[in-house]
Amino acid sequence: MRLKLFIWRQKNAQDKGHMEKYPVDDVQEDMSFLEMLDVLNEKLILEGKEPVAFDHDCREGICGACSLTINGIPHGHEKGTTTCQLHMRKFKDGDTIYIEPFRAKAFPVIKDLVVDRSAFERIMQAGGFISVNTGNAIEANSLPIPKKNAELAMDAAQCIGCGACVAACPNAAAMLFVSAKVSQFALLPQGQPERKRRVLAMVNQMEKEGFGACTNFYECEAACPKQISVRFIAMMNRDYLCSRVSEPVEV
Amino acid sequence: MILINYLKSTILSKFVMAITGVILVLFVIGHCVGNLQVFLGKDAFNSYAYFLQERLGELLWLIRIGLIAAAVFHIITSVWLKFLNWGAKPTKYQVKNYVKARLTSRTMIWTGIMIFAFLTYHILHFTMGVVHPEDYNKTDYYVTNAVSVDKVNNGTLNDTEGSDECCAEGTATNAKESIINYNGSMYKVEGDEPILSERHDAYAMVISGFQKPLVSILYIIGVILLGFHLNHAIQSSFQTLGYNNPKYFPKIVAGSTILSILIVLCYIAIPISILLGLVGGRV
Ligand code: HEM
Ligand code: SF4
Ligand code: FES
Repeated sequence: MRLKLFIWRQKNAQDKGHMEKYPVDDVQEDMSFLEMLDVLNEKLILEGKEPVAFDHDCREGICGACSLTINGIPHGHEKGTTTCQLHMRKFKDGDTIYIEPFRAKAFPVIKDLVVDRSAFERIMQAGGFISVNTGNAIEANSLPIPKKNAELAMDAAQCIGCGACVAACPNAAAMLFVSAKVSQFALLPQGQPERKRRVLAMVNQMEKEGFGACTNFYECEAACPKQISVRFIAMMNRDYLCSRVSEPVEV
Repeated sequence: MILINYLKSTILSKFVMAITGVILVLFVIGHCVGNLQVFLGKDAFNSYAYFLQERLGELLWLIRIGLIAAAVFHIITSVWLKFLNWGAKPTKYQVKNYVKARLTSRTMIWTGIMIFAFLTYHILHFTMGVVHPEDYNKTDYYVTNAVSVDKVNNGTLNDTEGSDECCAEGTATNAKESIINYNGSMYKVEGDEPILSERHDAYAMVISGFQKPLVSILYIIGVILLGFHLNHAIQSSFQTLGYNNPKYFPKIVAGSTILSILIVLCYIAIPISILLGLVGGRV
């Protein structure tokens, strides 16, 4: 396959950055998108040029590190797929592909296609946990959980924190991510003691980080590689309002 | 300041958008039903207008203040959020593809601002009579203490002509149960003496307003823009207020589209029928 790539190049956080054109010839259909970039980088290195910097880790769709906006859609047009799991057979010979970093004020570009997503870590530190003493696991049947809740909680817990929802949102809102992280606990008994404090603290941190407001475009849901439903955003809205009026503690 | 403290939270801001929006939607529906009475004729429409303007008394101002407050908060919050959202995405993509966002959802602020402009014109036109004052300054004479009857079989007819002042005078001394003729309509007098009263002729105002094609077109455009706004807004308010059940939400989205189309059709039926001369052909 021959492809014409336009890739965002930016030396560092201060650099203005620009799109640069890279023709690639020797692309195999069964390569993943990241392998295709590896091939390009090897060529660039041989030519003595600076390779394109991009984030990746597991390359099996579970870590959330790979973060590319491909032809204007985070993780590309393939539904429910991370960039690392997107294969070149989904493209046609001769295609032009635009590759840009995730865009959001809260995700500043570090270099080329790499962005700083530590805003998500700070949101998790604000409340994305439960406080329990470690020790022996308790007898599973002593804590009954309705099947429906267990399933919904697992749906929410599928979020890998990749940030595609923010990148896809025209407002750079982080509502899908935060709502998934809030709901996975709000649906389970273990999450109840800190439920109100959690949603208030996480939303508060989300707003401090400079993410936008939700306008119900539902672009996040469309881009999410784990197909997290915007239904969790509605759940979080409810949870947040109830907690605002009933939780007396300032967070 | 305490009134706008909620702006610090994006979720609270969205609640305010949704709640004020729902208040405005309810008004839009009520207003539509009221306006459709123009198809029932002059008397029905003018007594409805009279009821709103004169009978409601303080309640009218309470409703007006509520609606103005809802609109003010809706607009302040929407502009605030728009600037916040622009700020959150300072660098745009060189190439952007939308998957689920639609034209209606992406243009909310612009349809909103145009609705605001249209609303201002509409209030200056039909509520305050500032633009096109010739439409506004019309008086309707009507008979009180009497009910209109379509067919008069054996009543005594006062052979008065339909000129404005004479009739009520002429029948003022009539006994109970007499039938009078005013402006070609028959009225059966009940109880006390019939009185000739004056009221604002809202019907003639609407007719002469919409008989101007340019005015009608402006209203039609304004209402279609409102339809675009509502198409996204109605379902959006459910999501914002925390109701998104996978079983019913697709129906809510469809209902949002159907309701917004219905509202547009009902509203534009009025200027279109008047332009075509189907209503109020002779004012
Ligand atoms: C009769 C007039 C109007 C009605 C019935 C109406 C109704 C609504 C409703 C129900 C929503 C949904 C709220 C939500 O997303 O949860 C909404 C959103 C919105 N309205 Fe209006 N609106 C009206 C006029 C206006 C005006 C005059 C403006 C602006 C100048 C405006 C700007 C907006 C914007 C920007 C949104 C989206 C806000 C967001 O999702 O962040 N609207 N409207
Ligand atoms: S909600 Fe989806 S898109 Fe957003 S961070 Fe989680 S996995 Fe990524
Ligand atoms: S590299 Fe881990 S999800 Fe793509």
